[in-house]
Amino acid sequence: MKRIGLFLLPLGLFLLITLFLLQGLFSNPRDIESSLLDKPVPSFSLPDVMDASVQYGPEVFQDQVTLLNVWGTWCVTCAVELPFLTQLREQGVRIVGLYYEQELDPDFGGKTIQQIRADINKTVSQLGNPYVFNIFDHSRDTSMDFGVTGAPETFLIDQQGRVRLHHVGDLNERVWQNKFLPLYQELSQ
Amino acid sequence: MLAELGHFSLVLALLMAILLAIYPMWGAQRGQQVLMQTAKPLTVGLFLFTLFAYVCLTQSFIDNDFSIAYVAHNSNTLLPWYYRMTAVWGGHEGSFLLWVLIFALWAVAVAVFSRGIPLDILARVLAILGMVGVGFYLYILLASNPFERLLPFYPVDGRDLNPLLQDFGMIIHPPLLYMGYVGFSVVFAFAIAALVAGKLDATWARWSRPWTLAAWVFLTLGIALGSWWAYKELGWGGWWFWDPVENASFMPWLVGTALLHSLAVTEKRKVFKSWTVLLAIAAFSLSLLGTFLVRSGILVSVHSFASDPTRGLFILGLLVLVIGGSLLLYALRAPQLRSAGRYELLSRETMLIGNNILLCSATLVVLMGTLLPLVHKELGLGSISIGAPFFDQMFVYLIVPFVLLLVMGPLSRWKNQSLAALRNQLLAGLGLSLLAVLLLNLGRDGLSYMAVLGMALSVWIAIATVQEVRQRLSAVNHGLAGLKALTPSHWGMVLGHLGFAATIMGIAMVTSYSVERDVRMSPGEQIELQGYEFRFLGVEALTGPNYTGHVAKLDVFVEGKKISHLQAQKRFYTVQRNVMTEAAVDPGFTRDLYVALGEQLSNGDWALRVYVKPYIRWIWGGAAIMALGGLLSMSDKRYRMARLVKASEPVSKLAGESV
Amino acid sequence: MNPRRKQRLMAFSAIILVIGGAIGLMLYALGQNIDLFYTPSELVEGKNGVKPQVGQRLRIGGMVVPGSVQRDDDSLAVSFDLVDTGPVVRVSYQGILPDLFREGQGIVATGVLTALNHIEAEEVLAKHDEEYMPPELAEAMKGIKHVKPSEANYGNKG
Repeated sequence: MKRIGLFLLPLGLFLLITLFLLQGLFSNPRDIESSLLDKPVPSFSLPDVMDASVQYGPEVFQDQVTLLNVWGTWCVTCAVELPFLTQLREQGVRIVGLYYEQELDPDFGGKTIQQIRADINKTVSQLGNPYVFNIFDHSRDTSMDFGVTGAPETFLIDQQGRVRLHHVGDLNERVWQNKFLPLYQELSQ
Repeated sequence: MLAELGHFSLVLALLMAILLAIYPMWGAQRGQQVLMQTAKPLTVGLFLFTLFAYVCLTQSFIDNDFSIAYVAHNSNTLLPWYYRMTAVWGGHEGSFLLWVLIFALWAVAVAVFSRGIPLDILARVLAILGMVGVGFYLYILLASNPFERLLPFYPVDGRDLNPLLQDFGMIIHPPLLYMGYVGFSVVFAFAIAALVAGKLDATWARWSRPWTLAAWVFLTLGIALGSWWAYKELGWGGWWFWDPVENASFMPWLVGTALLHSLAVTEKRKVFKSWTVLLAIAAFSLSLLGTFLVRSGILVSVHSFASDPTRGLFILGLLVLVIGGSLLLYALRAPQLRSAGRYELLSRETMLIGNNILLCSATLVVLMGTLLPLVHKELGLGSISIGAPFFDQMFVYLIVPFVLLLVMGPLSRWKNQSLAALRNQLLAGLGLSLLAVLLLNLGRDGLSYMAVLGMALSVWIAIATVQEVRQRLSAVNHGLAGLKALTPSHWGMVLGHLGFAATIMGIAMVTSYSVERDVRMSPGEQIELQGYEFRFLGVEALTGPNYTGHVAKLDVFVEGKKISHLQAQKRFYTVQRNVMTEAAVDPGFTRDLYVALGEQLSNGDWALRVYVKPYIRWIWGGAAIMALGGLLSMSDKRYRMARLVKASEPVSKLAGESV
Repeated sequence: MNPRRKQRLMAFSAIILVIGGAIGLMLYALGQNIDLFYTPSELVEGKNGVKPQVGQRLRIGGMVVPGSVQRDDDSLAVSFDLVDTGPVVRVSYQGILPDLFREGQGIVATGVLTALNHIEAEEVLAKHDEEYMPPELAEAMKGIKHVKPSEANYGNKG
């Protein structure tokens, strides 16, 4: 019966590989531990995307629990999460958009602010508008300060204006239930 | 509506798979004919429902139904209709639907083309396929549903198909590859059924061989096509990159090749039984593992929509069940397998063991190289990457003994080979091949050792193959008329080996004698490469259905005579916001002229890649010949199932003596 | 020992020898071909206390500092700065940059370290899509504050 050991070898090898695969599956680079966690949002002064005369700063996050959603009309995943975000707004969640435009690339031609506004209006009229207002990060500096690596990304910010959660990727029912909702309810009390 | 019908149809297919997994197996264990006979109709049902679901999704693509999330992500109204049909497998969900469709197709093929196989074996094989199928269908329904709607809000236009996939090569590459991957599920099912039944004999090997050959042929073609596509579409002029996606398809191919040879021994000589079964399990396991690695995003993490860890977890669970379960069954049953045959150290059996060891070592090298970065990271040692030089180096080490065995194997007899006779043949072959290499390289300056080695190996294989056919002919003693006496499966082997020789020749020439030049050129300028005069005429604007771009025009002259006009494109896909380089290639039997357009530089200059690639077509041509050999082998009379009813005939008396 | 046993033993030891040799060769080849991944600040300040040595092959990932790309007027030589959070590293490259290479984009370069903050790259890879960042880069940037290139400390001290 000692031969069975030899025949168990492939199984052992496979299980070893499985172990690493399992571990690799959960060490997802998308789980970013933002350095901003539990720190106040970085300072900024940026215009509203629809009206350049309106300026926003970190004070817009005071006194209310807010979701800051980084997005753009060029980003299809963002379009996919818009309906769900709109649903959240209808449930009373305050969502602020941090809009940035990707059209910095001469190969695809630049966009005027009028075009950007038209695109935004078109998109939100079709897919729903979850945003109280949209901050326009025209030079993309503030997104970098927030540690944004792409779009869409969402931050949960508490009444004191501190970042409590940073999610990379689309926000959907599952992510909301598991990741956001417990903390959101705790903060909202 | 179509989406809901398609979804429902998939649910019915799952139901079929569940029934298929239970009833025929139950019947086979209990010896109940009625239950065993349900296997075929259930398999047909499985296939029809899957096909219907697939047609539904295709129709939704043609109709531009962007309320379906998957369609919205992978299509666009500007996309031509033929790409809309192929966009069905442009993303994760759809390509998995194609995967299950092909799976169902193989299952139906087994049900239809195996009239000669005893009912209880067939019932078990189909039931095993049913069990594997349950996992696949559950996955597609629970974690990767292609019919999911984006209601009530949906985009007016889709995100477009990844431009990398908007190419003829890429249209047929995935289906071919999947035919290969999934084809190994049949071989796997035969092996498991035999283990369950406890009947592992030469007939089992004979039933498995045509299916192995079929899967292997598809995989060979799929890999070759992928390589050809990368060559012309990625703009680097490379034909193999050792990236995880390629490695994922290469591993099952290596094991599949080992399996083909090992099955031959098991069929002829009734030895290596447990080893052959292990290879059959491994071939399919590596196909699944490859799919997992590619699809779970574990190696290539893409920061985009819906890369959801539950998917990876689901596939991993499936892997553990299928692979772990079958390896456990193997560990329990395989020790009871007894190999009947006897053989000496110098015999064809030994050569084939060597062939198997080398092929499996190659597989391990690829597996290591693919998984080590992951293991390294998980052990907390930091991110690393393993470069192509590692694989290149390892394969150079492996190819020399491999070719040596390839040359000796067919020239040797089963059981026992006299050393003196073999030595003479080998020395003659080696001498001839060295002479040929010398002649081929006359007048070439800058000889490369690697090229000489590769050419010598390649020519030696070709000579040994001819020697072997001659040896066979003198044995039957009919002169040239005896060529007919050789079986198709023997010709299959000859072609397979010659194809391999051609591929090695191509690889040796391309890696050593390619001339690659990245140059800066202004319109009207010309450069000379290996006697080819490339004249750069200029760059013009370009507009396509869903892209804009530039096209560079060049004329190529040899000794003042124009031989070719090349147009290398750079495309900007507007919806996907992606850039694609379409290289211009002037193909030839002994060389390719290759030009790719780089970026625009200051003062009107452009960067261009100008390559001369000798013998590169031989790499893919060789693969095509190998595949042809596989097809020829499959056509051998002894695999016609009807004949196997008389399986009580001793194996050796059946036609054909070859591997 | 009967002949059959002897033969088996021979075959078995041959297999072990081949496998052992193969593993040895593989480890040797691996040792030469593993490229460790660094970000610009890890390169300059050391990663887990270890600084790469001049002459070492490595991979570096970071963002191309806008305005830092310099092309030679007569050849395909190009050089640019990479940055993540602190110091910048200069990368020189001879050849055609990938289609998706842009200033302000994340790229990954493979090459040889020729000075403490200079790399001769053999290969430059880039991704244009904003929704994508090379996984290693995303991983390396875990938990660190992004600094915009215009405010990054361009000195070597970090």
